[in-house]
Amino acid sequence: MTLTSSYLLSLTTFAYLAAAFLYLVLWVFRVRKVGVLATIVTVGGFSLQTAGIILRWIESYQLGYGHAPLSNLYESLVFFSWVTILVYLVLEWRIRNRVIGAFATPFASLTMAYASFSPRVEDAIQPLIPALQSNWLIAHVVTCFLGYASFAVACGLGIMYLIRGDSREGDGILSSLPRKRVIDDLMHQTIIFGFLWLSIGIITGAVWANEAWGTYWSWDPKETWSLITWFVYAIALHARFVKGWTGNRIAYLSIIGFISVIFTYFGVNFLLSGLHSYGSQ
Amino acid sequence: MKNASRGRGENPVISFLTSIRLAIFLLITLAVTSIVGTVIPQGEPLQFYLERYGDTAFRLIHVLDLDNTYGSWWFVGLLILFSVNLIACTLKRLPHTLALYRKDSLEVDLDRLIRSSMKRSWETANGTDEIKRAKAIFAKAAGKAVGRDGVDGGHLLLAETGKWSYWGLYILHSSILVILFGAIIGTFFGFKGNLLLFEGEATDRVMSRDGQREIPLGFQVRCNDFFLDFYENGAPKEYRSDLSIYQNGTEVLSRSIRVNSPLSYDGITFYQSSYQAVPEVTIRVTSTDGLHKSLTIPAFEKIPWQEARLVFGILQYLPNVHGAPAARIAVSNEKGQIDAIWLVPGREKDLRFDGKDLRFTLEKAHMRYMTGLQVKKDPGVWIVWLGCTALIFGFVIVFWVPHRRIWLWCGERDGKTVVLLAGQSNKNQIQFEKDFARVEDALDRELGAMK
Repeated sequence: MTLTSSYLLSLTTFAYLAAAFLYLVLWVFRVRKVGVLATIVTVGGFSLQTAGIILRWIESYQLGYGHAPLSNLYESLVFFSWVTILVYLVLEWRIRNRVIGAFATPFASLTMAYASFSPRVEDAIQPLIPALQSNWLIAHVVTCFLGYASFAVACGLGIMYLIRGDSREGDGILSSLPRKRVIDDLMHQTIIFGFLWLSIGIITGAVWANEAWGTYWSWDPKETWSLITWFVYAIALHARFVKGWTGNRIAYLSIIGFISVIFTYFGVNFLLSGLHSYGSQ
Repeated sequence: MKNASRGRGENPVISFLTSIRLAIFLLITLAVTSIVGTVIPQGEPLQFYLERYGDTAFRLIHVLDLDNTYGSWWFVGLLILFSVNLIACTLKRLPHTLALYRKDSLEVDLDRLIRSSMKRSWETANGTDEIKRAKAIFAKAAGKAVGRDGVDGGHLLLAETGKWSYWGLYILHSSILVILFGAIIGTFFGFKGNLLLFEGEATDRVMSRDGQREIPLGFQVRCNDFFLDFYENGAPKEYRSDLSIYQNGTEVLSRSIRVNSPLSYDGITFYQSSYQAVPEVTIRVTSTDGLHKSLTIPAFEKIPWQEARLVFGILQYLPNVHGAPAARIAVSNEKGQIDAIWLVPGREKDLRFDGKDLRFTLEKAHMRYMTGLQVKKDPGVWIVWLGCTALIFGFVIVFWVPHRRIWLWCGERDGKTVVLLAGQSNKNQIQFEKDFARVEDALDRELGAMK
């Protein structure tokens, strides 16, 4: 058979599912070698996915459409999981702790599984409709998803913080998690990083909307929900800076923020109507 | 900081407006109330809400302007309160920041340096030469340094960067006010309108988007042509209008516009937003009394044939019946009699109407396109972009530009010549520790590993 992007991307799905499973095993049974294997599988899956995305880009040229693979729900899901893994791998490499993988990689695996297996998600390469024919497409989607992916990782860290509880060393599986202060700090850094990209994503969207429709802000549900998400994280940052909130409260805000991200991403497409409807096919 | 104002018995209104508590409350309220307008469809006629939500809910929607949530009195009120709170918090913090900014980092004593988070000291046996070299090394490794004599009996050198970063917070917060200001300018000094133009048609005015008033453009815009292209799968590929601008009857600008490529002239921008296709047919009618005529009939219009005292119009139009268009033409007279006949190209058809035999031929049938344009004037948009840029720069400064200070003190202490290196950074400690270690190593190579 010829090597197609769909084939590579479905392999990616299995690689990420395997990686998430291995990270869980690492966390629960604390076998160092499993952790190394988990990283290898994740990096392998990431390489496959990168190749798949590039191949899909080339295929779209072969079909005569010629556009970056960021134009519909399927492609955005693939890209979301790609950026999530990227953000996670950078984090793993910088802090040299693999247990976080058990909380971050499931987001990417579930996203890929949904993209690959849901009958609702059309995976054919489609041509770009006139509204999407813009150089802002890449800038807007890439910046938004860098934000979304960071928030996914921050949410994973928040969940990790909450279940970490106050257990001391040697208390079983919880004690193999990083110290609470470390998680808290990472969560904060990840939120700051995501907030910057979400801001840039909203701004590039506004510039694009102004270019295409003549209005930079029209309170379309997608725009409004991205602003609501922005507010949630703004609250988290202010509460931390001015009120000194840390720990549990920030962890809850990080989870609420990610729920808002998910609603901005899916909920708006499926439940509300508006200008971004092409994202739902 | 938090409750400092209360103790001094300040005006409770002012302490309310300057409270961060209010800021967080407003952020939460704006987030929650914004949801309303995404759940309830916006901008529909009032009848729609009555039918969909029933009597009681309708009254609530009407009173709270929930059909126009983001322009409603209470939402705008929240935004105004938010702006006031932002300004108030900024002003309240200003003296504190000014003090931080004006504080001379050379104005420290030895105890303060010893208490720094990062420090290292060396003792040297033979003073002046080594100290001279240590200072040179410090200036090279830590960056541009300023010095002062007589600090606790020694000489103090300081390498300082990013002191200005305290203003990042103000850039970040004022950027939001700048964006809101730009939006206000756009609302009051700009307009948004819609325009439908036939190919070949020109106009010098547009209808405002709410349909309430006509806005003169100050020049003429003409649609020369409209093109429509589809992909093989039927999805739209391109909408394009060829527009020309006329000033006092002379063409000054001519360009094609597409969905993501508008045209601007004299501060007014034209965007491709939609199109309408309207049929137009040309028929030839021959009457038994010897009269004959060719008539061009656009949709929605009645075209008279004076000599025969008849009026024609298009009743129905099918663009594609087995590959050819078909039109149903209505014919009527002054007596109020009316009849209709289906015509296809290339076939003559007869109709007996009011005692006369009429023979019809469909000479031409095609769609005429109207391009749908959004027309906008927004003098505030550059202010909004300025605000957006400031927001990003401000954010980067607030979170990633640290105020760093590295001091080098050289002097006599307890009868020994001491070199003390101390440093402090208000953010990004990890990077600072690395940079501090670099300076420390450079000095260590000179001063030896003595403690």
